[in-house]
Amino acid sequence: MNSDLWLYIGIGCGLGSIAAALVYYRWVFRQEPGTEKAVQIASWIKDGASTYLRMLYRALIAVAVVLVVVLGVIFSGDPERPLHGVYTAAAFGFGALCSALAGWLGMSIAVKANVRTATACGRSLGQGFNVAFKAGAVMGLAMVGVAVFGMSLLYLIFHDAEIVLGFSFGASSLALLAKAGGGIYTKTADIAADLTGKVELGIPEDDPRNPAVIADNVGDNVGDVAGMGADIFDSYVAATVASMLLGTSFAAAGSIGMQYAILPLILCIVGIVSALIGLQFVKVGPDGKPGKALNFGTVFSCVVFCVLATILFVVVNALAGETVFNYGALIATVSGLVISVIIGFTTDYFTNDEYRPVRNVAEISASGTGLTIITGFSYGLISIAPALIGIVIATLASYFSAQAFGLPGIYGVGIAAVGMLSLTGIVVSNDAYGPIVDNAKGIAEMSGMSHEVVDTADVLDSAGNTAKAITKGFSISAAALTVLAMYAAYSEVIVKYSGGNFLMNLQDPIVLSGIFLGCIVPPLFSALTMLAVTRNAFTMIEEIRRQFKAKPGILAGTELPDYSRCVGIASSGALRALVFPALLAVVLPLLVGFILGPTALGGFLGGAIFTGVVFALLMSNAGGLWDNAKKYIEAGNCGGPGSEAHKAAVVGDTVGDPFKDTAGPSLNTLITVMSLVSSLFAPLIAQYHLFG
Amino acid sequence: MTYIARLGIWDYNLRNSEKNGGHMRHLYLSLMPEALIASMLSPEEFGNYYAVGAEHTTQGQAVFFEVDPAFRHADIPIETALARCVPHADGQPKHTVYASVYRVLERVPLTAIGTLYLVTKDGRTLGVQRGAEKADSSEGLHLYHELAPVRPLVVSRLGPEPFFRLLCGGSDTPLSIPAITFVELRLGDLATDPLNGSLGDLPYDNTSHLRSCLEQVKSKEVAAKVVDRLHPGTFSYRTIKNGIFIGNKAEGLAAYMLPSMGTLKETNHLWWKSATI
Repeated sequence: MNSDLWLYIGIGCGLGSIAAALVYYRWVFRQEPGTEKAVQIASWIKDGASTYLRMLYRALIAVAVVLVVVLGVIFSGDPERPLHGVYTAAAFGFGALCSALAGWLGMSIAVKANVRTATACGRSLGQGFNVAFKAGAVMGLAMVGVAVFGMSLLYLIFHDAEIVLGFSFGASSLALLAKAGGGIYTKTADIAADLTGKVELGIPEDDPRNPAVIADNVGDNVGDVAGMGADIFDSYVAATVASMLLGTSFAAAGSIGMQYAILPLILCIVGIVSALIGLQFVKVGPDGKPGKALNFGTVFSCVVFCVLATILFVVVNALAGETVFNYGALIATVSGLVISVIIGFTTDYFTNDEYRPVRNVAEISASGTGLTIITGFSYGLISIAPALIGIVIATLASYFSAQAFGLPGIYGVGIAAVGMLSLTGIVVSNDAYGPIVDNAKGIAEMSGMSHEVVDTADVLDSAGNTAKAITKGFSISAAALTVLAMYAAYSEVIVKYSGGNFLMNLQDPIVLSGIFLGCIVPPLFSALTMLAVTRNAFTMIEEIRRQFKAKPGILAGTELPDYSRCVGIASSGALRALVFPALLAVVLPLLVGFILGPTALGGFLGGAIFTGVVFALLMSNAGGLWDNAKKYIEAGNCGGPGSEAHKAAVVGDTVGDPFKDTAGPSLNTLITVMSLVSSLFAPLIAQYHLFG
Repeated sequence: MTYIARLGIWDYNLRNSEKNGGHMRHLYLSLMPEALIASMLSPEEFGNYYAVGAEHTTQGQAVFFEVDPAFRHADIPIETALARCVPHADGQPKHTVYASVYRVLERVPLTAIGTLYLVTKDGRTLGVQRGAEKADSSEGLHLYHELAPVRPLVVSRLGPEPFFRLLCGGSDTPLSIPAITFVELRLGDLATDPLNGSLGDLPYDNTSHLRSCLEQVKSKEVAAKVVDRLHPGTFSYRTIKNGIFIGNKAEGLAAYMLPSMGTLKETNHLWWKSATI
């Protein structure tokens, strides 16, 4: 089959996915928005989210323009490819635009769906679930649609994976800023609202008397919808592009055919179809368990994907009368996919209150905060093991299965990452569902809906929390495998442009220096983003206290707080705090590469990837565990609310908040961006460096 | 000499026709701390003010009874307090004028005591009427938090009525006090199995000591044992077993029975939310 035909199918499938997202969007939009008060509260959340996104995108445009010019100038120096710089710059801009578009679409429906979900909860749990999940599906489908459309279009025009790499860099740069900014925003508001509202004044959660309550709800959207969406979007694109680059390199070397350069895109198309089919079967059963419905959707889509991918390989090979697509690639794909599901569910073990880790932390909290922190942190450390073992199994299985069938092993690793991310459509749908139902519960509380409605929204919310934890495990593991593929792609580009072998010797001080420098970045990035949270939260707490003092009617319920002040503090604080961490991600790899050389940069990436994955898993899982230990106690265990165990668990949760929602998940994007920067600049670094 | 005519909620000075009021003046018997307070605020407003303060720097939980405005006692300068309880220069109502902060409970008869108000830390107020039903005196162990005049935490084999009689019953015991207010707190499984019963959602501190005290009361011939001599004045409303009790030697015991938390969730949702935080 003609390669271009697959690209046309990719473009069509991407557009079809976007169209399906729009159909869901329209369906959700047509649902009953509810009472005037509920609509009013939802409009405050919407305005806050729009204000932040406007500020973020304005900043991003400035960054993107600078980077477009830089890329355009730097990559135009090759006389054999005079327009390469222009194309790369254009692809970068297009990638950033697509990522922004997907984020905006998801946010846009999330802030409309929240109030509609709350209202639908008044009718039944099933209807509430339906509205929230379909709204989440808008994000999932839009994201994969935009990504596949963009990559297919660029590859169709240029037939050059290096240009598509620019697209991926654009998407990832925006993702890094969106994820880290959203993470800082959401935890600033959450911590400030909790410390002053709940702890200091005894105000319940989602109480309209708290000046930070709207910022808190906005944070759910900008952090968990736009931020997490952008994070997975960038892994999805990066994994595909890395495999395309590997396919191109190996095809150029004659070891495989050119069809393997577009196989990753074809698998993305299969993933979209699987997600579209899987979405139809996500419904709350008569047992009224939304978590079960979400998990069923994920597993069902996984099975559909495996079946469709197998059919594709068999049919294409049968029609061609020869082996067009090697079955080694199929095994690699399926191994990545299966491992991703397993990793997702092992993450659930460490963060779900049905299992020992969360219950142990809750029980031990009765003996004080110190033990809560030590125990939760220790479980976080243990939780790294199954995920990393899963990544090791996926890496080895994909590598050797590809090799056994005559494909380059490292190409198999790249394809495994694509397989892992083939479920992105449904995973993002599940993930975006979480903040929508969280907001719905808040709106139901704030607008004075009946407690039955609040209870229904609460059931939906609990399922959302579990889905969120699984998504994090999935996205970290996917990012790990993606950057391994990207690492291999970097090596291939270096070999191509340096004209020699690329070997990294651990006895070489240059390589070791690179590794150590790389190890610095994830902890430094984590610290900077978490310090930003504490600094902004401190400012917001002062503002909340000021408002309570200046407006005595707020607590009495006779005066409205000035919600916009807290929204403003969270927005501007998050954007200000982003500059330095973002610079780290882009500038450090370039400094190491141009000064210490390609091998040092290889070591640098290795150090950053390994510590980054370890830190990301530790922080995400420990944070989720502390959060759920607190919720377990609040559900009436270990003394319940107000007990010593609860006080200790609240401290654990506060420590865990920036772990799990700011630093932890941003590290995926950090290592992806650093890998992309390295691969993108590898041709230049291979030729121009001081040492190494 | 002043010539004040009281007309409804207004006071008129007959000499200069000056008018004060527009706000009913109330008397409240606070239990945290024990005090008699005159105020121009309604019970809900007073509860909010008393819990969160004028500038909303936190003050904390409050429990108080509304007292008949006509109540007077020779040892308490109620008239003086009421005379001071006038609007501020800007017309704002006077929040509190303390009439007494010492031995108030024993001086206010049950006949003058009206509705009980339970105020959450964030100022939500729940009114509880005096119940006709008698307190539950069923078998098993009991946990009492005395609220006034002193605040120990006590475990006992006695139900509320006999526990009250133990403390206020006669003059032949050195423990006898003239009046008392206490709340019975839930013990859950610990009521029948102090050593091994599940704590469940009971948020008590130092539970090993509590279990030990319960076991001692269960196995020894003592009617009651102090768990904590200086227990904090506040307690979680969700731990109330059945109600709050007030009594004195002369009039006996009155009970203010609280509806179940499930009922309160339905009927007083906002208060319930703040009370169960």
